[in-house]
Amino acid sequence: MLYAQLFVNGLQTGALYALIAAGFSLIFGMTRVFHAAHGATFTLAGFMFYEIHTVLQWGWLAATLGALVVAAIFGVLVDRWIYNVIRRHEGSFFTLFVASFGLAIVVQNVVAIVFGRGLVTVSTPLSRSVEWLPGLYVAPITGIVLVCALLCFLALQWLLTRTDVGIALRALGENADLIQVYGLTPRRLSQYAFLIGSVLVVPAAILTASTSGLNSAMGHHIMLISIAATIVGGVGSLRGAAVAGMLLGMAENLSLAWIDPQWSEAVTFVVLFLFILFRPGGVYGKAVVS
Amino acid sequence: MASYLMNILVLFSINAILAMTLNFIMGYAGIFSLAHAIFFGVGAYTASYVAIHYTDSLLICMTAAIGLSAVLSMALALPALRVRGEYFVAASLGLQVIGVTIFSEWHSVTGGLSGMVGIPPPTLFGFTFTDQAHFALLSVTAMLAILGVVALLVRGSFGRSLMAIRDSESATQAYGKNVQAVKTLSVAVSAGLASVGGTIYAFYMSFVNVEGFMLDASILLMAMVIIGGTGTLLGPIVGAALLMALPAALTYLPFLPSEELGTVQQMIYGAAMVLLMMFRPGGLVGKRKGKTV
Amino acid sequence: MTAQVGKTLLEIRQLNKRFGGLQAIDDVTLNLKSGIITTLVGPNGAGKTTLFNMITGHIAPTSGDVLWLGKSIRGDAPWKIARMGIARTFQDLRLFGHMTVEENVRTVIERGTWLWQAGSAARDARVQAVLKQTGLTEKRHERAVDLAYAERKFLSMARILASDATLWLLDEPASGLDPRSFERFVALLREVAASGVTICIIEHNLDIVTQLSDRVVFLDQGKLLAEGTAQEVLSNPHLASIYFGERA
Repeated sequence: MLYAQLFVNGLQTGALYALIAAGFSLIFGMTRVFHAAHGATFTLAGFMFYEIHTVLQWGWLAATLGALVVAAIFGVLVDRWIYNVIRRHEGSFFTLFVASFGLAIVVQNVVAIVFGRGLVTVSTPLSRSVEWLPGLYVAPITGIVLVCALLCFLALQWLLTRTDVGIALRALGENADLIQVYGLTPRRLSQYAFLIGSVLVVPAAILTASTSGLNSAMGHHIMLISIAATIVGGVGSLRGAAVAGMLLGMAENLSLAWIDPQWSEAVTFVVLFLFILFRPGGVYGKAVVS
Repeated sequence: MASYLMNILVLFSINAILAMTLNFIMGYAGIFSLAHAIFFGVGAYTASYVAIHYTDSLLICMTAAIGLSAVLSMALALPALRVRGEYFVAASLGLQVIGVTIFSEWHSVTGGLSGMVGIPPPTLFGFTFTDQAHFALLSVTAMLAILGVVALLVRGSFGRSLMAIRDSESATQAYGKNVQAVKTLSVAVSAGLASVGGTIYAFYMSFVNVEGFMLDASILLMAMVIIGGTGTLLGPIVGAALLMALPAALTYLPFLPSEELGTVQQMIYGAAMVLLMMFRPGGLVGKRKGKTV
Repeated sequence: MTAQVGKTLLEIRQLNKRFGGLQAIDDVTLNLKSGIITTLVGPNGAGKTTLFNMITGHIAPTSGDVLWLGKSIRGDAPWKIARMGIARTFQDLRLFGHMTVEENVRTVIERGTWLWQAGSAARDARVQAVLKQTGLTEKRHERAVDLAYAERKFLSMARILASDATLWLLDEPASGLDPRSFERFVALLREVAASGVTICIIEHNLDIVTQLSDRVVFLDQGKLLAEGTAQEVLSNPHLASIYFGERA
């Protein structure tokens, strides 16, 4: 039953990771910006939910809206006010990454000052586990996580294949000139990419807040997962990032059957290293050599 | 007072060594590493292990430290540099995380979370470094020596290869330079020399544990390099000095609660990184926004 | 023009390159013999630069082979191929922008990737000689980004001169040069050819084609359509119509 339990836990973690990674991969694949502040978006959304729901007690609907608004605004403004300024004069990978990283550090510390460095959780009856089978504890929230992730991906799929913005976004990643056809500019589209990518982490942030909890420094872990999943899945492939996120979530949980919990973060990186060594293109990508 | 100043001098020199060696790959080769603290740690742990179990000879301990770091870094660089730069960032982050876990869990070698204690004072040609003043002299000498080595490399043919790669990797390949080899060598030099800092640190403290080698340390080093100015010889030294002075400067601000000093410090250099990248990517010592090639 | 017809240096055999649905190079077979200046002409998008990229190892062929002095170099790394004696320039120059003119040349002359190479008088002399031959001696301490257009073109030539290669692949080296610089450029190429270097040039400039080329090769849509002397190729009305845009 241990394996079954770890498997269920893995499904839950994996679904959350898939959402987070897809958000990052969308932004990176389409704008080529290494948005190291993606973890900060997650942290802000999660803490905003906590603040509105648990501290101010305004209900989960208001809290969800608050989280969505914060994530969307943060993502778009970072692109508009910071990345654009940098892209205008130089825009190299280095400069954008460093700025992004610096911002992530600022956000982490602001959150630490406001909320402290400890763990905060949003308590909800949905996270109470029920013993389904002897030794197998499942909470309703696991089901919610899975359904939510599925809905988000379906919505994303529809967005990217059926709407003009979505199709143009995919073109942006491959051939920026084609976008003129849709009457959109790369600048405007890049903002859409940040908007959608940032909003994708919100369900993951809310659900994480309700399950394992939030802390101010978790942005680092989010970035680790985002980067690892994007590479393992194949740069430029959203499907790959989502699949890889699920894979990493599963690996992290299933590995607990054999190793101590302190090593579970390391498992993610071992998987990453193996891919870099043997299949740098990832599961769905092509091998990209500089 | 003298003791306080000498302590600062030793720590500053060590930080300067770490910043200079990180700048070597970040500023000149354009390779990003979030794992520099791990190489610092490998140097410290290796030197300590050799000193406790075999010999207190400074030269031997340092050589072992340099060697192990260099080899480890090449194991990281060889596969990761084959593909694009972003992959090296990810791989280095991975190494940082795994490295901390190994330092904390490998009790038999690293002493686990409690670390290694009782590291004997090192000896060099019969002279034993016991006094704080000795360490001050040692660390400053090491810093200047490494500055010299980096300057020689950067101003010579290797530096030209690195800067050529930074300006146009395809052209560098087209004129017969093995770009892979150059990058891997630069990573090895960077990690190996960072270990010199680790060795001195271990002997000075006569105690090592994982606390000094975590992600926060790697981030602080990156901030020193960026704020000081990448791709310059003096930039990392200026960055090290500034970021070390920052906590002391902050204690003078009365409205800051002392528990939050570390947090405020991080916020300041995070913000500095963002602002610099927007308006002065060359850092404090570097040139203002240059023309794009 | 000396035309010591020598041995075949580079052999391109039935080379093909497909990018997804696009056939960029279609069954091209071509030989480059020592001492001969060959010009590759054809409309934009004909695959000329792609062909160069396949010779230098920057792009891998889908099928076919490239042989240098009889041995296959297909799949070799670009730096290895460069060390064998094949050097090239880029259409977008790709100078080492933040380094000075002298450093650009010196970087190429310093072969190898050792951590430390001792300075040598011979190397210094060679740097100065190359700068002199390309007329860049006065500008040697200027950064490459700060140079004027024609000077940048000559710096690109200085780099390839410094490489001591036996086969030069030049990608539109003369485009946009003013008449006086152009004359200097042609003179430089003549000197280089006379010293025994084999040259293959991609050019649109008909003066280069007529004044310098021993042989002209016409490429269109990845296919080698014609090969011959400048006169033979240029006086062909069918090729002219392709070149200037009307297609049959």
